[in-house]
Amino acid sequence: MNKNYFILFGLLIVLSGGLLFLPEKTNYVQQSPESLMWDIVQPTRYISTDQVAKLIIEKDPLFQLVDVRPDYDFEAFSLPNSFNIPIDSILTDEANDIFNIEDVNTIFLSDDDIKADQAWVIAKRMGYKSVYVMKGGLNCWIRTIIQPQKPSESAPITEFELYNFRKGASIYFTGAELSTNSDIKQEVSITRKKKETVAEGGC
Amino acid sequence: MGPLIPLGQISSGWDFIIALIIGIAFGFILEASGFSSSRNITGVFYGYNFVVLRFFFTAVIVAMIGLEYFDYMGWIDLNMIYILPTYLSPMIVGAIIMGVGFIIGGFCPGTSYTAIAIGKLDAIVFTLGLFLGIFIFSEIFPYIEDFYYSGNMGNITISEVLGISNKLFTFIFVIIAVIAFYVTWLIEKKVRKTINPYKFE
Repeated sequence: MNKNYFILFGLLIVLSGGLLFLPEKTNYVQQSPESLMWDIVQPTRYISTDQVAKLIIEKDPLFQLVDVRPDYDFEAFSLPNSFNIPIDSILTDEANDIFNIEDVNTIFLSDDDIKADQAWVIAKRMGYKSVYVMKGGLNCWIRTIIQPQKPSESAPITEFELYNFRKGASIYFTGAELSTNSDIKQEVSITRKKKETVAEGGC
Repeated sequence: MGPLIPLGQISSGWDFIIALIIGIAFGFILEASGFSSSRNITGVFYGYNFVVLRFFFTAVIVAMIGLEYFDYMGWIDLNMIYILPTYLSPMIVGAIIMGVGFIIGGFCPGTSYTAIAIGKLDAIVFTLGLFLGIFIFSEIFPYIEDFYYSGNMGNITISEVLGISNKLFTFIFVIIAVIAFYVTWLIEKKVRKTINPYKFE
C-alpha cells in the first residue's frame, strides 16, 4: 500500500480523535449589545394581560405562553395552554424545541416582570426573535383579569368597555356565572289588544 | 451560519439550482471513480474489488468529521439538519431488495445513470428494469402500505440509539473505516493473484 494512504489514515484518525477533546460548544448566534439595548427599550416587547387574555380566548395559534416559574408554582396555578420552562431550564434542548417552532411567537410570564424579563434577555441572546413578556406577570393578571375593578362613574367610556371585557374574561377563565339581581321584581303589566271588529260586507 | 436554506440565508427558490449543481458534481465524481462499470460495483460482493466500500466510507467519514467541526465553529447548526425517520423492518426488507438488485444488475440507481451518460447498453436495460420496478411498486403499494409505514422509530440517529455522543461515534466510525481500508487492501492483494484484476482505463 502506498505510504500516502497511511498519512491520510493518520490525518483522519487525528481529526476525528480531536473531536473528543473539543469543549462543549457555546456558539449561539448571539445578539450584539447595541441591538439588544435597542430591543430592551422598545415598549412593544411587552404584551398586556388584556391582550394575552384575548389571545387565549381566541385560541390564537401564533402565540404560545411560556411560564418561567418553578414547577410547583406552575402546578398550583397556570394559564390555559401554557408551557412550563423554569428559568434554570431555559437552555435545555426541550426548551429549545419549544422556542424553535416556526412562526410562533413566545410570551414569557412569571409572578411579576422580573423572571420573565430575565428569560426574555436569555432567549434574545440565544438568537430568538419573536419573544415577548406579559407585562405585570400573573399578579397583574389576577388584578386585571380575574378581579377587575369597576371604574368610577366619571371614567371615560373606553374604561367601561375594558371593564366589560375583563369581566367577561374573568367569567371565561374562572368559570363563574353572571350574577343576576333576582331581588328586583318588575311588575309585568299585560295590556290586552283590542279585538278588531270583523269587516262586514265589502267585496 | 447554515443550514443555508432553512435559516433563510439562501431563498428556497434556489433548491433546484443547488440540487442540479450537486447532482452534476456527484455524477462526475461517480464516473471519475469508476462507478460506471458494473464490474467495479459488484466486485465487493464477489470479493475482488472493494473500491465502492472505500469510496463511500471515505465520503462518509470526511462528511462526518467536517460537519462536526463546522458545528463546533458555529458554521452549521446540526440540530436543524433534517433526519429521515427510521422504519426499521421495511428498511431492512428494502435494503435486501436493493442489494439483490445491485448484484443482479451491477448498478445502483445513481450509477446506472452515470453509465448511461457514457453510453453503456447494460445500464439502459437496467434503468428500464428500474422504471418497471417503480411501476410495480406503485401498483401494489395499497397492499403493502401498512408494512411500509410500520416500525416507525422517528428521526433517530445511531449515536442516540447507542447513547453516545456524535463526536465519539464519529471517532469509532473512522477507526472502523481505516481498519476496513486496510483489510480490503490485504484481501485484494491476496485475491487478485488468481483473479484477473480490473484496471481503470
